Amino acid sequence: MIGIGLIIVIVLVAILVIMAFSYYNRFVILTNRIDNSLSQINVQLKRRADLIPNLIETVKGFAKHEKEAIKAVTDARKALVSARNLQGKVKANSQLESALKTIFAIAEGYPDLKANTNFLELQRELAATEDKVAYSRQFYNDSILSYNNMVEKFPGNIFAAMYGKKKKKFFEIAEADKKLPKVSF
Amino acid sequence: MERLDFRDQISRNKRKSTILMVSILLIIVILGYVISLAFNPAYFSMIMIIATIISVLYVYIGFYNSEKMAIASVGAKKADRTRHKQFYSLVEGLTIASGLPMPKLYVMKSDQINAFASGRDPKHAVVCVTEGALKKLNKEELEGVLAHELGHIRNYDIRYITLVTVLVGMISIISQIFLRSLWFGSGDRGNDRSQLVFILLGILLAILAPIVVYFVQMSISRKREFAADASAVQFTRYPRGLINALKKIKQENIRPEKKISRAVAPLFISDPFLRLGRTHPPIDKRIEALERM
Repeated sequence: MIGIGLIIVIVLVAILVIMAFSYYNRFVILTNRIDNSLSQINVQLKRRADLIPNLIETVKGFAKHEKEAIKAVTDARKALVSARNLQGKVKANSQLESALKTIFAIAEGYPDLKANTNFLELQRELAATEDKVAYSRQFYNDSILSYNNMVEKFPGNIFAAMYGKKKKKFFEIAEADKKLPKVSF
Repeated sequence: MERLDFRDQISRNKRKSTILMVSILLIIVILGYVISLAFNPAYFSMIMIIATIISVLYVYIGFYNSEKMAIASVGAKKADRTRHKQFYSLVEGLTIASGLPMPKLYVMKSDQINAFASGRDPKHAVVCVTEGALKKLNKEELEGVLAHELGHIRNYDIRYITLVTVLVGMISIISQIFLRSLWFGSGDRGNDRSQLVFILLGILLAILAPIVVYFVQMSISRKREFAADASAVQFTRYPRGLINALKKIKQENIRPEKKISRAVAPLFISDPFLRLGRTHPPIDKRIEALERM
């Protein structure tokens, strides 16, 4: 009788230990995924910022009188590059987005600029990076969702408490940014 | 809920893939046994060893080169980074949205709108689209189609379908050999034993054929397509793109594509052999499901 009891206890303990390990690893994987997707947002924002100087040069070549619009873009880029945290970067990015919209609207009035292949290429590239910024943000939030589900659901919540894992906040876009219409070039 | 759903789909696909692989190996071993009966039971162990080596090699080569074979069988070419810039950039965006590694991209010659994904796992995946798809679909529609293909990759449908293709290829090779040996065997008088074995082989193939058909049907189950559509929406958050693409595909006056081997048909987003039999759920049903999302 004692033998059977002992075996049951050993089996139960073994199951618990295996679960503890596997939950620990799941948390590691999910946390890494969040970190990774966060850096992906930064990569895309940086790529976007890198495209701007080229665009400014091209625009200047055809429409150098549009100083105000050009300045708005350079300022927004500066803000994007110098922003420390993600919130600041994303805010600067939406500022950049609206400044670019003005530039592209102005370009309509310059047939030579509008037809310039370099300009068209940059326009397309900027639109593509904007999509990627949106996707990286989406994946970041998806990763947080998986993590939070893990932290809150049973039995994950028990292990989460054991390892001191807490719910993470979603990446929210400011109300003003949400209203920003999607620009299609 | 959706997240749970695709996890289930993935583990189901992985499980079925393993079963399939084991059954491929088993079929070859059984065949080896039957053949050894035909000649001389004394050679049993030798034939078994040869059969096992052949089967392992076949599965190994088929499994590890599946994406190359699929690409070669439709005569697709590697997509050009500058010429197919939009194709690249859309897939890059979708890999960010899905967290998948970047697949290899190919373009195949065809005026039809179509696309497929293949490979043994997400790290060794390919996505191939037709020139027609690149030409006729706008950016959102193309993105929807590509997201559907990435859905197949993420859900491990590509692994399962790859193995089905390997199995179908094997069965056709075996039946070829069987038919030929019957042909040559008819010249000799042949002893009773080998005749009996050939009858047995015939019965075995008769049993195998429906099993193969079953696996093929399972591989193209509606669930798989609906799940890939759902994954596409999960990645793009924009069902309209895929809906419009499906509508365009439906409108197209579809002529069966001759160049595509039937074995790879289940890979495509829309069945290239509409007249020969459906391997996909009707497009209307898929559009309906997408519109509810």
